[in-house]
Amino acid sequence: MKIPSISLWGVYSVWHRHARVYQRTWLVNFLPPITEPIVYLIAFGLGLTPLVGEVVYNGQPVTYLEFIAPGMIALGVLFQSFFEGAFGSFIRLNFQRTWHALLTAPLTFGDVFVGDWLWATTKGMITGTLTGVVAIVWGIYSPLHLLMALPFMLLGSLLFACMGLIVAGAADKVDHINIPIFGFVIPMFTLCGTYFPRETLPGTLKAIADILPLASLVDLLRFPMGLPQWWWANILWLVVLTLISAALAVRMIRPKLIH
Amino acid sequence: MAQTLPTLPRDTAALSAYDLWKSYGDRPVVQGVSFTLNPGEVLGLLGPNGAGKTTTVGMLYGLVTPSRGFVRMGTFDVKSDGRRARDRMGIVTQEDNLDPDFTVIDNLIFFAHHYRLRGAAARRRAGELLAELELEDYAQYAVEQLSGGLKRRVVLARALINQPQVVFLDEPTTGLDPDARQEFWKLVIRLRKMGCGVLLTTHYMDEAQRLCDRLILLQQGKMIDQGTPPELIERTVGTEVVELEGVAEDQLQQVAATYQTWCRSFGNGYVLSLSGDRAPQIWDALVALQPEQITRRSANLEDVFLRLTGRMLE
Repeated sequence: MKIPSISLWGVYSVWHRHARVYQRTWLVNFLPPITEPIVYLIAFGLGLTPLVGEVVYNGQPVTYLEFIAPGMIALGVLFQSFFEGAFGSFIRLNFQRTWHALLTAPLTFGDVFVGDWLWATTKGMITGTLTGVVAIVWGIYSPLHLLMALPFMLLGSLLFACMGLIVAGAADKVDHINIPIFGFVIPMFTLCGTYFPRETLPGTLKAIADILPLASLVDLLRFPMGLPQWWWANILWLVVLTLISAALAVRMIRPKLIH
Repeated sequence: MAQTLPTLPRDTAALSAYDLWKSYGDRPVVQGVSFTLNPGEVLGLLGPNGAGKTTTVGMLYGLVTPSRGFVRMGTFDVKSDGRRARDRMGIVTQEDNLDPDFTVIDNLIFFAHHYRLRGAAARRRAGELLAELELEDYAQYAVEQLSGGLKRRVVLARALINQPQVVFLDEPTTGLDPDARQEFWKLVIRLRKMGCGVLLTTHYMDEAQRLCDRLILLQQGKMIDQGTPPELIERTVGTEVVELEGVAEDQLQQVAATYQTWCRSFGNGYVLSLSGDRAPQIWDALVALQPEQITRRSANLEDVFLRLTGRMLE
């Protein structure tokens, strides 16, 4: 596949445009989505701790609150980067025709694509980090651990943003975006060990959950409780999926713009 | 003493298209289109819907990759050096793809960023453009609050941010009311005076006739003729035509055959070319047919198109 021409300035300029739009509309675009993982953290944390108390993770007992904190960070990363990649880019591609306008400037398809990708990644990072900050204030995740978790969050945000872009390129109508949300994102959120250990799932379902990318991200974010034995394979898996997703997203979107 | 004349550079064209072809599958959309656009010239690309105008414009700025041929913007090849080529181009697409989240002035300021114009320089340039295009009163308006004509003007202002050498206007006045169209025409004339090369695609013949220094006629992706509007009219239809209604077609065809002139149906009646020295005789012969209505008028580009393509522009 031909690698699109990309310039650092071009990518930054596209990202900057999206960031300025976000700045203008932050009350609407920032507050509601950011509350989602935080509400889950509070609701699951306060609601289920009296019932669950502790869970066994990596052979060791941990409090339920400590267990779900990284899960909710991963959830923030997943939801925000995927939704921005899917809905945000779909709207810019098909309704606002922002991509078309940008391509009349001295920008290439590569600049616009990577700028959109990194913007969706940024939104995943913002929500993941703020959920982490809430967990820190609550005393269930340490500031140092959040700092060390940033590269994992970045990897997850890059991947889920790119998966969102695939959907933005593949969907003909905005309603089509619901299909991967209910067929992939929600099942991944519920099955991948964000709020219960995957060990409790039956064999086949656990095997499926284990290979879903959110499972790798959650396991990596739980590093304060011990990394999984094959932690490097988790990283490699996320990197490989990101590269495949990027290639697919380019393939889906490019023909809609460049003939 | 022999005087040495100054020599012009070999290629003074602002934009050159060389043998452009584009096919989608087996379907050819553009076939062998070549032309140059000079500074300070308005070049019209005319054709009915589906003639390949927008595809040609897409190839000119790199959105459509030619199946064959290439485009040069000055010395830059659009395909391999699109970024630098577009740095010198201003592109007004058919659709108004302004940023609805920004005000009018912010649309310009944030677009200027793509040209590395930032901060005070971007604000200054945006202010200049708003003044030039008489948009100052709308600087703080949201895009949705603007009329169609004003939106087109903002899209043009956005295209002019980097003081382009070439401006593409792809059906810029489609959907505008007559006042807004005339206001837009004034801007095109101003661009020409500023030395910009302007490439205009339109299917409004009056627009093409008023604005264009030179025209290229496209049909089914092929260039079928080119020249100045008066040249094309004179060469194709002559200077005058007659429109007439309420006359038998066979009688009319007989007159056309006798004087070897062009005739075809037109609306509810017919149009016939009054060409050459025999115009008075043709006119007398037509009057003798006692048509219900007969009008003599100057030939225009609509007649040219009717003759060359056999159809009216939609």
